Amino acid sequence: MIIASRTASAVYDINVFGLSVTFLLVALAAILTLVMRLGIAKSMIWSTLRSLLQLLAMGYIIKYVIEANDARIVLALVFFMVIAAVQITITRADGIPRGLAMPVLLTLMISVLIVDGVVSELIIKPSPWYAPQILIPVTGMMLGNLVAAIAVAMSRFFSDMKARQYEVEVYLSMGATPFEAAKPSIIASAKLGLIPTIAQLASSGIVLIPGMMAGQIMAGGDPLEAAKYQFVVLAALSSITIIGDTLIMMLIYRRCFTGLDQFEPRTA
Amino acid sequence: MSYFTAHALSCVFKQHSTQQSDTTLFSDLSFHLERGEIVDLTGPSGSGKSHVFMALALLDPHASAKLTLEGKDSSSFTPESWRRNVVYLPQRPVLTSDTVLDAILLPFDFSINRSVKGLGPQTAKPTAKQIRNELDELGLDDVELVRNPTTLSVGQQARVCLLRSLMLRPKVLLSDEVDAGLDSDSSEKVGAVLQSAADHTGMAVLRVRHRDSDGRASMILSLAHGRLSRREMA
Repeated sequence: MIIASRTASAVYDINVFGLSVTFLLVALAAILTLVMRLGIAKSMIWSTLRSLLQLLAMGYIIKYVIEANDARIVLALVFFMVIAAVQITITRADGIPRGLAMPVLLTLMISVLIVDGVVSELIIKPSPWYAPQILIPVTGMMLGNLVAAIAVAMSRFFSDMKARQYEVEVYLSMGATPFEAAKPSIIASAKLGLIPTIAQLASSGIVLIPGMMAGQIMAGGDPLEAAKYQFVVLAALSSITIIGDTLIMMLIYRRCFTGLDQFEPRTA
Repeated sequence: MSYFTAHALSCVFKQHSTQQSDTTLFSDLSFHLERGEIVDLTGPSGSGKSHVFMALALLDPHASAKLTLEGKDSSSFTPESWRRNVVYLPQRPVLTSDTVLDAILLPFDFSINRSVKGLGPQTAKPTAKQIRNELDELGLDDVELVRNPTTLSVGQQARVCLLRSLMLRPKVLLSDEVDAGLDSDSSEKVGAVLQSAADHTGMAVLRVRHRDSDGRASMILSLAHGRLSRREMA
């Protein structure tokens, strides 16, 4: 359990003084926005407080789960994270019709199964297999990326199909299947969802030290180990985003068509 | 037995709230077309002519109808193979490809046109030479095959769309105001091309037209207030 002892306490602890300095920095920025009349000072301070509480809560939960060291609790937390991610995806995607929770849930479940199966169990191979300090962060990073990609892709798909109404009808009128008629929108939407992930993959290491690698180095880990971990995570992240993105498109494109393969634009 | 029949043709917009009643655009219309026949459909704007066409091509989710083609019920076709035989040509030209040639060949990439089922040998993918000849027939001799369709006038685009539909060799063509933006000379050419396709392949044509009769239609149907009246031409 070398990993556990390393993550249990950071090399340089952040104490109450450190947290206060952070808030001073936020306060300084808030004053600046007040002077500039940007009107975001209140929401900025509120979000900062919220993020502190949420992160501390997450920290306590993971600490508890690590100490409990029970496969059932770990799997329950993973499941809870997936359910929460479904909710966030649905609220974040603008202009989508109702009733998409099931396809989103299915997509996230399959993606998490693949990622946890491949990254955790085949590549990292922790012992025990359910080691929460591996499984929980990996699941969290994957879900964070997937939620953003899927929400953007779904939102774009339904608005694009609506904008392409005449085109879709012309395709269908010449014998195209719903998939053939929806294909240009499917491709455009899936691509849009992938852009941030691909950009992150290409730029990491040049100017940007990705959060995970930075964290591992700051916590006293070997930078080369950190680099390997970060590469595995980034590559897995891109693959799973492509898989999840494709999956959600395949599961939802038929929502724009009736059982008789007629086009019916759908919006919220 | 008629070549193409339509019975109980209705289009109803259902309201989801209970306060409003359903809006019926038309209901219980019926007519039939014979092989190689040209029939015109007229009626004021908004009377639902396009919805009639969409309904006949099984494209309108608000419509219902009992349709037969060569004695076979539409329910015995897949929606795709029905639309492949009964082709709807919308009023608004849509050409998404980068060149005129690709635009015309687009439907030949659809799975229904790549598989053999339900297609005669005459619907093989046309060659560039055939397309060139047909464009000339339609008075589009100044439109190069490599032209980007967005650089064409609306009237030119409408004729390219017409040619694309004709290349599919449909059994019934539902042509929605193809000649709306055309001068009378070009309009005459469009009429002649449709006439020739009807004579040679037996294709039945239902046209929406706002022009004076060109003498090609054997019957004129007019749609107003949800009713269809017919006038036989000599």
